[in-house]
Amino acid sequence: MSDPTAAPGTSQTATTAIEVAGVRKAFGQVTALAGVDLTVAKGTLTALLGPNGAGKTTLVRIIATLARPDAGRVRVFGYDVLTQAGQVRAHIGLTGQYAGLDDALSGHDNLILIGRLAGLSRGQAARRAAELTAALGLADATQRLVRTYSGGMRRRLDLAASLMHEPDLLVLDEPTTGLDPGSRQQLWAILTALKATGTTMLLTTQYLEEADRFADTVHVLHHGKIIASGTPGQLKSLAGGKGGSLDDAFLALTRGAGTAQEAVAP
Amino acid sequence: MTAITVHNRPARDSALIAGRNLQVLRKNPGRMIYPLVQPLVLLVMFVSVFGNLAINGHGPGATGTYREFLIPGIIIENAALTAPATGLALLRDASSGLADRFRSLPMARAAVLAGRLASDAVVFAVQAILLLALATLLGFHVQHGVAGLAAITAVTVAFAVGFAVLSAWLALLINDPETAERLLFFPAIALAFISSSFAPVAYLAGWMQPIARVNPVTAAVGVIRSIAGGDPAAPLAAPLLELGCWTAALVIIPGTLAARRWQAAR
Repeated sequence: MSDPTAAPGTSQTATTAIEVAGVRKAFGQVTALAGVDLTVAKGTLTALLGPNGAGKTTLVRIIATLARPDAGRVRVFGYDVLTQAGQVRAHIGLTGQYAGLDDALSGHDNLILIGRLAGLSRGQAARRAAELTAALGLADATQRLVRTYSGGMRRRLDLAASLMHEPDLLVLDEPTTGLDPGSRQQLWAILTALKATGTTMLLTTQYLEEADRFADTVHVLHHGKIIASGTPGQLKSLAGGKGGSLDDAFLALTRGAGTAQEAVAP
Repeated sequence: MTAITVHNRPARDSALIAGRNLQVLRKNPGRMIYPLVQPLVLLVMFVSVFGNLAINGHGPGATGTYREFLIPGIIIENAALTAPATGLALLRDASSGLADRFRSLPMARAAVLAGRLASDAVVFAVQAILLLALATLLGFHVQHGVAGLAAITAVTVAFAVGFAVLSAWLALLINDPETAERLLFFPAIALAFISSSFAPVAYLAGWMQPIARVNPVTAAVGVIRSIAGGDPAAPLAAPLLELGCWTAALVIIPGTLAARRWQAAR
């Protein structure tokens, strides 16, 4: 993780993977992000929690250079997402809500294409594809067209595609939504192994028990603002009492924020 | 940390995308029926139904047969009707998770459009070659043998690429695959008919004639007729210049607009 090219002129970059400061984004009349500040330390797994429409996907898309913030600044490994998007892209892998794959090609052809577009040579891409498909349990299916894959296989192939260029930061937007328990478990085993190699991960999820089990830090996003941050343990203690679950904490927080908003509404 | 650095290799990335598009055609041969088989059927239909209508010395193609007059029109008409496929394919990519994948990679962003045009140029060329081969069997005569056939193929591809660029921009502007599918073919059909494809401009309805005279379809058909020698009175320089200007204008103006729309981070 000691990247000599990263971080020109930012003091924090030695330990920081993502810095989000004062980010706002609106789509017409709808405010998606209303001033978000957030820091993600290198090598950690950070979960963004929030109800539907809280702004999780918008934030993730801004970090992944897919959307532009209306205001505020975002840096990834010291690179600005607006002015140094190319550098940011070289360091990140993205697994979006919709698989970024070509259904009409085989799994193998998808990985080679994506690897080569990321800058790998043909040989490097082929080696990396073989490694990843073996590790993700897809080795037998690589020659099949992606449209014949099951949901779980598709997700794993999508993850493999995101990992082709060995990104330092993996951004995952609801990676386990819609998967059966077996596939979710399998995906988490892979992510845990990946974390052990030092890859920083930022993910959005609606499954609180996943955030509880795997995340180092949890940020709760509600109405476009971060209303609580901390370790899963810290957030649980917010719910009060012993034996509180993250679900309780989450519901208490989002309900509280909702009332607070209603209280200030005219 | 990987060896990935930010690269700016638009030619390499465009070639990778073009290769992917052709690979999709190879693995999904059904997708070749529209651009490669249907035109042959249309050619046989048109020639069989209308080929013997006009009599030497009367009506269109006074010095040749109507068949000689009609076939260049059918070749260009097919190119015009295939060009919307470029826009539809680009919009399919833009509407799928693949667009986010491409946009999050450290690749040249214009490569998706440039690669699509390159692979479609190959399809247009194969379409023209197949049509010319069948037309020859049906009695179409081209002067200067293979050189003449190659020149006609090149003219057809140049015309089709111009229209393909226009369809790419319009499709991204419409931004809905279903609407685009319905809308894009309409101007192609209108332009194919309001031209000298099926009858000399002087034979068209009065209101059509000014449109037909500046229509790039008329220019392209004029160039092919002149090369084929079906109409010795047909000039070459004027329609060739006209087609050249149209193609350049279509590639530059809608091309820039389409590339911008693709690149725009939302």
